[in-house]
Amino acid sequence: MKKFLATLLTLVMVLSLAACGGDKGGEATPPPADTGSTDAQTPPAGSGDKIDISVIAAEYGQNTKEWWAGFQNDFNGSHDGINLNVEVVSWNDIYTVVNTRISNNDAPDILNIDVFADYVADDLLLPAQDYVSDETYAKFYDAFLEQSNIDGTIWAIPDLASARAMYYNKGILEAAGAEVPTTWDELKDVCAKIKAYDSSIYPWGIDMTTDEGQAAFAYYIWNNGSDFTDASGNWTLNSDKNVEAIEYAISLVKDGYTNSDPATETRYALQDLFGAGKLAMVIGPNSIPTYIADNYAKANTPEEEQIDFAFAAIPTNGGNASVSAGVMDRFMCFDNGHSDEKLEAIKEFFDFFYEDTRYSDWVLMEGFLPATSAGGEIVAASDPDMAPWVDIVGSCKFYPTAKAEWANVKQGVINVEQQALMGGNVQELLDELQAEIEAEAAG
Amino acid sequence: MSTKTPAAPPASQELAKKAPRSSGSKKFFRKVEPYIWIAPSIILMAIFIVTPIVKVFQLSMSKVTRAGLVKGYNNFENFSKVLKSPAFALVLKNTIVWTIAVVVISTVLGFMLALVLNNKFRGRKVARAIVVFPWATTLVIQASAWNFIINKDYGTLNTLLMKIGLISAPVNWTPTPGAYFAWEIACGIFVTIPFVTFCVLSGLQSIDASYYEAATVDGAGYFQKLFSITLPLVKSSLTVATVLNIIYVFNSFPIIWTMTKGDPANHTDTLVTYLYKLAFYNGKQGEASAVSVIGFLILLVCASVYMIYTLRKGDDDL
Amino acid sequence: MSQPVNTVKKPVSIKKTILRVLLYFVVLDVCVITLYPYFAMLCTALKNRVEIFSGGTVLPVVPLWSNFIDIWSRAPMAKYMLNSVLIAGGSTIIAMLCGIPAAYALARMKFKGQTAFLGFVIVSQMFAPVVLLIGIYQVMQRLGLTDNILGLIFINAAFNQAFTIWLLRGTFMGISAEMEQAATIDGCTRVQSMMKVLLPVAAPGIVTTLIFIFINAWNEYTVALCLISTDDYKPLTVGINTFNGYNMIEWQYLFAASIFAIIPVVILFMSIEKNLVSGLASGGVKG
Repeated sequence: MKKFLATLLTLVMVLSLAACGGDKGGEATPPPADTGSTDAQTPPAGSGDKIDISVIAAEYGQNTKEWWAGFQNDFNGSHDGINLNVEVVSWNDIYTVVNTRISNNDAPDILNIDVFADYVADDLLLPAQDYVSDETYAKFYDAFLEQSNIDGTIWAIPDLASARAMYYNKGILEAAGAEVPTTWDELKDVCAKIKAYDSSIYPWGIDMTTDEGQAAFAYYIWNNGSDFTDASGNWTLNSDKNVEAIEYAISLVKDGYTNSDPATETRYALQDLFGAGKLAMVIGPNSIPTYIADNYAKANTPEEEQIDFAFAAIPTNGGNASVSAGVMDRFMCFDNGHSDEKLEAIKEFFDFFYEDTRYSDWVLMEGFLPATSAGGEIVAASDPDMAPWVDIVGSCKFYPTAKAEWANVKQGVINVEQQALMGGNVQELLDELQAEIEAEAAG
Repeated sequence: MSTKTPAAPPASQELAKKAPRSSGSKKFFRKVEPYIWIAPSIILMAIFIVTPIVKVFQLSMSKVTRAGLVKGYNNFENFSKVLKSPAFALVLKNTIVWTIAVVVISTVLGFMLALVLNNKFRGRKVARAIVVFPWATTLVIQASAWNFIINKDYGTLNTLLMKIGLISAPVNWTPTPGAYFAWEIACGIFVTIPFVTFCVLSGLQSIDASYYEAATVDGAGYFQKLFSITLPLVKSSLTVATVLNIIYVFNSFPIIWTMTKGDPANHTDTLVTYLYKLAFYNGKQGEASAVSVIGFLILLVCASVYMIYTLRKGDDDL
Repeated sequence: MSQPVNTVKKPVSIKKTILRVLLYFVVLDVCVITLYPYFAMLCTALKNRVEIFSGGTVLPVVPLWSNFIDIWSRAPMAKYMLNSVLIAGGSTIIAMLCGIPAAYALARMKFKGQTAFLGFVIVSQMFAPVVLLIGIYQVMQRLGLTDNILGLIFINAAFNQAFTIWLLRGTFMGISAEMEQAATIDGCTRVQSMMKVLLPVAAPGIVTTLIFIFINAWNEYTVALCLISTDDYKPLTVGINTFNGYNMIEWQYLFAASIFAIIPVVILFMSIEKNLVSGLASGGVKG
């Protein structure tokens, strides 16, 4: 027993000392053997002459991991000189993971995420044309590429998009004797009618959570003919129309027309309430029909219990044309001092990814919308339900993600919404935010 | 040998025993020996806790870009920014309410529960196993479950109460941020009670039954026995539990993060969730580090007060 | 003389009965409240999504046991579980191996800096791992331990040192040193006397400490989330997040998987409960 303890103690000390030595001596410590040999990321030169490419990709849904695993196999199988390693990270954690990696000078080669301006601000990225072949580059919708334009350079390429529209439960609207609303006034009327018809149904869904509260902000200001910035790109968060729009949204909550707690109920909860027939109308992404159909199929829900729904343009105010909100995600390439061979390898990666059939498969996998015209044609042809969306996504508005202050604006508008929900004055709150953001932009 | 490889205290000890040396080297060994015994622990903590702490102090005084690159020192700009922000006072107040409420209530309830479970009764084993459940459950899961239970629209609490007939329409359990915060505190208490109960139980079990027998013979009542025998004897395990609890609860992250993420507008944020948002949502790692240093200083003051207090009373009470 | 004794005895037994009933009432209440979330989790785990969100039923209409099977194919649950066992077990061993000698030295020896060391132990706990993520990641990267189970073992062991040392020190100090001294006179070394005399007597305290570290390491979430990127090395707590995806929370799967995560810890606890009792017996001998 004594010997046993002595051995164990010695072992611990040796381990600690080895760890200690490693701390000082840099990367000298080899990865311990007992954790398997599959972690191909750490060994610096262990994998022979192959070029290593590391990718961090966002997890869009249940099928993403599997899709990338298949992709990695196909790619490595057909490219002998390249060793591709794709790490799929959930949206919950991806910012934490990526930021931690960057602070520790361990950025991936390629990143698939939504934001990019912060990385450009720190000179971390390569211009898109350095790592995308001309042939692939020509495939993207111009409007999409423009979303990644900072000071005349395109820094990232779109991987997919989604667009939003208003979904409504046909059965509830009919029973309440209401028409599909197209203006804000009509929307309130319809809400009142639904409320009168059955008070246990929520007429309208709003998500003002930390999760995606900025989307609500965008829906209302864009459909009031306003925007986050003016035409020359200056922030105009406290413009009269923005104040009017947010006050309108808050009034929907105060009038009791919405889900009970917009500050903590995320869009996922809203989607589920909509699918369960407890919510009459909600603004949501193009993936909702697939999502609801999947649920019914899994649950064997009898037809008579399924909701009958459709989508329409988001209601607007003041005679403005309805604006659909687009969300676009991107690929970007970190400037890790790549050799020419490595850049060529990365080009091959993107050529492989954006190959038309593979790309449309990627987009369809989780019910998203394509960012290339060829992909759009294939998707529209293969799925008639998607065709109208392919048109919508070509014309929708995007968040000003190319601006460096966007991250603060995003958190700021969410904070404004939540303060307003608790009785804060929208004008004052937006004035404060505007001043704060202007100060940041100035220095 | 003892100086060369601190790795083997047993061997060196034996050497010292079997081959008696001059009293000088023996004396020297006596002096060094305790440090050999604590060395593994110190090394472990130095590498995995102290180094990261140093890093946080560095960051708190540095300009850190949104993407996470350190761009030199900026004096105490991070601290002044944090202290000036209107949300900070609210968050600090929340943190204090959260810590005191959870620690005090769970200590009282946990202590009482330990007294109950220390009785001999049928099914005691089962009851004890059940009580440890909340402790055995990951906080993320526990918080998800509570969030699910109290949900107004599909929560099981409303369904259950409606089935029993206690309520006729779904109740909104979280009508205000304050109410939500109260639920979070309740969840915190729920998961902290087992820890207290167990610390007290382990203290109770080492109390010799003869003390109680003697007291009973002397005609002492239940509460007399409680205050004159039980409390003093479990005091040391209860104090340790409380001190560690203050630190753990103060630094607790998953419950609030899972249930509200600090929404709405920081009304349910504590320092830890606030700084997590600062670091990973707003990309302000410098300021986040400053918040964490501030939190550390607060805890340090509390702990110092405690240490001074107990040290003055004598080492045994620690 | 015998009469009054009888009249005194009767009310006492009634009082005792009332106390018994009250005791059972309290215990039952506590158990029901404690178990309620698990009951809700189990019911939800047996429902399908549509039923969950339409509310209205406490028990599932048709229990969907397949949810419990589905999770094994939807995520590598067995691997997650193995990783959790390795991490929690490894952390416990290392934390004890470092903690027992330190607690022993604090309880049985006098040395300079004793108070300072105790203070250091407490101070080391004042930062939550969440707060230290960036620093922790950097250390792990230097050591080549990112995305590595061994790294998590060390982190968990380190963050549990405070509890280990404080509790064990208290336990050791509560035990008289006489028997160890006697053993030393009989020719035992210090290590031998600790192993043979002190540790068996201190069993209840040691077991409590063991459970604590194991459960803490089993439940650790934030650091694992940040350090482990490869699916194969994820512990259960992080792996379960698969069901907390981008487009939806799969409550039924989340809770089904959670139940699997809870069971081992409960079993472990129940098996150790016996040791607690026997430890108690050996503790009683010392008097």
